[in-house]
Amino acid sequence: MRNIILEKIVKLFLNVMLIFSVYLLFRGHNNPGGGFIAGIIAATGFIFYAIIFGTESVKKMIGLSSRKWMGLGLLVVLITAILPVFFSKAVLTSLWVPGDFPLLGALHIGTPLLFDSGVFLVVSGMILTIVISIMEVLEWN
Amino acid sequence: MIKYLPQLIGFLFIAGLMVPLLYPILKAKLGLFLSLIPLTILIVLFSALAGLTPESLYLLPSSWGLLPEMNFGFRIDGLSLVFGLLISGIGFFIVLYAAWYMSKYERQGHFFTYLMLFMASMIGLVFSDNLLVLFIFWELTSVTSFLLIGFDHHLAKSRQAALQSLLITGLGGLCLLFAVVMIGQVAGTYEISVLIERGIHLGDHPKYRLIFVLLLLAVLTKSAQFPFHFWLPGAMQAPTPVSAYLHSATMVNAGVFLLMRIHPVVGGTMEWKYMLMLTGIITMFLGAFFSMGQRDLKRILAFTTISALGTMVLLIGIDTPQSMKAALVFFIVHGLYKGGLFMVAGIVDKSTGTRDIYLLSKLFKPLPFTSIAAVLALISMAGLPPMLGFIGKELVYDAQIQLPGMSWLLLPLGIGANIMMVAISITIFTEVFNPFGKRDPIKVKYREKDFPWYFLGGPIVLALAGLMLGLMPGMLDTLIANALYAAKNQLLNVNLSLWHGFNDVLLLSLFTVVSGIVVFIFRRSLNVHIGRLIDWFDKYHLPTLFAKGIKIYVDRAYKRTQIIQHGYHRFYLLTFFIVTGLLIVAQVNWDFLSVMPDGGYTPLRINLVLLLVVASLAVIFAVFSRSRLSAILAMGVVGYAVAILYLMYGAIDLAITQFLAETVIMVLFVMVILYLPKFAVLSTRNSRIRDWIISLSIGALVTFVVLHARFINLYEPISVYFIKNSLTMAHGRNIVNVILVDFRALDTLGEITVLTLAAMGVYSLFRFKVKKTKSKKEL
Repeated sequence: MRNIILEKIVKLFLNVMLIFSVYLLFRGHNNPGGGFIAGIIAATGFIFYAIIFGTESVKKMIGLSSRKWMGLGLLVVLITAILPVFFSKAVLTSLWVPGDFPLLGALHIGTPLLFDSGVFLVVSGMILTIVISIMEVLEWN
Repeated sequence: MIKYLPQLIGFLFIAGLMVPLLYPILKAKLGLFLSLIPLTILIVLFSALAGLTPESLYLLPSSWGLLPEMNFGFRIDGLSLVFGLLISGIGFFIVLYAAWYMSKYERQGHFFTYLMLFMASMIGLVFSDNLLVLFIFWELTSVTSFLLIGFDHHLAKSRQAALQSLLITGLGGLCLLFAVVMIGQVAGTYEISVLIERGIHLGDHPKYRLIFVLLLLAVLTKSAQFPFHFWLPGAMQAPTPVSAYLHSATMVNAGVFLLMRIHPVVGGTMEWKYMLMLTGIITMFLGAFFSMGQRDLKRILAFTTISALGTMVLLIGIDTPQSMKAALVFFIVHGLYKGGLFMVAGIVDKSTGTRDIYLLSKLFKPLPFTSIAAVLALISMAGLPPMLGFIGKELVYDAQIQLPGMSWLLLPLGIGANIMMVAISITIFTEVFNPFGKRDPIKVKYREKDFPWYFLGGPIVLALAGLMLGLMPGMLDTLIANALYAAKNQLLNVNLSLWHGFNDVLLLSLFTVVSGIVVFIFRRSLNVHIGRLIDWFDKYHLPTLFAKGIKIYVDRAYKRTQIIQHGYHRFYLLTFFIVTGLLIVAQVNWDFLSVMPDGGYTPLRINLVLLLVVASLAVIFAVFSRSRLSAILAMGVVGYAVAILYLMYGAIDLAITQFLAETVIMVLFVMVILYLPKFAVLSTRNSRIRDWIISLSIGALVTFVVLHARFINLYEPISVYFIKNSLTMAHGRNIVNVILVDFRALDTLGEITVLTLAAMGVYSLFRFKVKKTKSKKEL
């Protein structure tokens, strides 16, 4: 049975969650937030979406399978880890883009953000993978 | 030009890893394209020959390394050049050869990936100037050769052979690591050039014997010396290009290389001489002897390889300037003829479909150029003029004669091995290639003109190189002299020539050839005896024994593991809690008064108390609940209560994470709860009482420990450092997140890897289930 109100709410909820998670991801370095939290929040949005619309629609929406999502996250983290080696620094040392930016003012942009994005991808991918596989076994659709 | 060598080696690695991307574009041309890299390396190495003097040494230091002591510096001297030239030269022909040989295989891309990586690690091994780096490349050759030997992994035999070689060379690699670390600790440096320059010799060090034994094990396993020789014939399961490459100039010669490289540091002692001579001579004789009884062309070559390796180890063990020179020349000789012969074996196999020398016959007509190459290589193997093999063998005899005291043992066995080599060379020629043989010519599927040029080129060029060097051995003089300078640390005048004058060495050669022909004539009756001996040996067949040993070991380990890894979660928890409890009981100082804070208590906060009361009530409810759903919801209440507790103490990140995790867990639980079996009490009364006691005592103990922990401050808490440096060093005000992504990023990396693995585990478990149910439905 379709419940149109619920469907509308869930769609809205997903959008809000995703925007919120990206916001948390970016503010994470200075304020509460970060990759872990943002990843869980994004995944929660997708979970509710999957509960209402089924796993197939979530799979379609995220395009890349959630497993590849995790792999991508790990790859990003790995690249972040290895990158400093090419600047003759120890593995996993943070690199920072120096200086001020014309419009944005003084900003600290560096590899930690990249690292956090990788964590974000892995965490959300992991939760989605687990939930989707459970839902598929239960034949939730 | 030579200064680009490290980049070229790196390029070889990258090329290997890029094969999956290149293969769809290049398809059959892949091998031809990849062969350009070893060719470039070969040319670069040749360019280094131009300015070579007997003493010259070219170091390419590097400040880059994984550890402070471990710099990827490269060292270009005669020794590494001799090995590098053969590795890249033969490698070039092997890649060309494989381009056609492997074209029918499905996983061609994989093959070239492995081959390129192997070649890169082999070249890296001979040029590295740091013992630790050398070790890494050494291990890389073991791993990549495992992949190459087991390339036909659908065959059980291949897998077994690959595993065997990996286990044996892996054992050696482990020994090498220990030896390298010990040398580095004793000498204070891992740089080979520094070790040689300072003239460090560990002969008198109290730990010398240990270091030497470890090194010896590494060499014996890698170079297939007795009693570890048996992995080499097994490795013949590999596709022929692999055998040709591994057993001519690379893999197995890594041990020989190591001996020469490390000789200035640990060589020349009594242990060195006797152990190497002993294993070398046994291996040399056994290898030659066993090659007589074989029928498979590749197996014959495998045993002659063992013999040749034995010869080289023996020569290094004799440890006179003459013998070292002989070992170097013999390495070149062996690489050239063995690489060619293996490739010929592959050509014969492709053209006729068999490698059994008693089925093959009269291949001269369909394969004329290959046969000429094979004959030249066989002449070199038999040690006859005018090939380089003759010079090599003369030098070997020379070295064996000159050793006082031991020549009575070495000479007969050495001559015996060489007689066998002559006989086996003649046998191969008459059985396989002789156009005037008695047997009917074998049917051939492909004639020479059906093969492309790059498939046939390798053996011909290698054979011609052997011939040319045999006629003009003076070309090698400076190179060998420089190699000797590196290996023996003394300057010697090297003057190779084909004709040494009429002396006792030449007499021995003549005797060898005549005896070889005699052995050849009586080979049929001799083969019966050798066959009987081989059968007898097969009873104590080392590979089978080895496999059995491994199997027994694994079985035992399995049984032992079963005792503690029984697979019952409840007992794991039980064990864990009991052990933890006992450890606490044993460790903690039972002074209850000391636990109480002496500064009095902080005033009670009513909201905190309320929170704790709610959480405790939820726990009690969960324990006594009769329904699973309400128990889970109650546990959720506990989780939220803890999250609020975090919030009250200002740990916002933690609180958010806890909230979210609780929520996701709730959702998951509610999702699956419908499908769980009915809630029932299955445990007996006694076991419940036991669990009660354990859980209550663990709770009490943990409380006690937490109270206690406040008073133990062994070091200044690390959090102070984090608070101080979070903004200044890591540019972040959220300390928790800075710790996660910066200060403790390695931990996070590990954690997310574990998360991924866990998710993949869940995924694969459910996948299995889904498939099962689906297939049931179809039925």
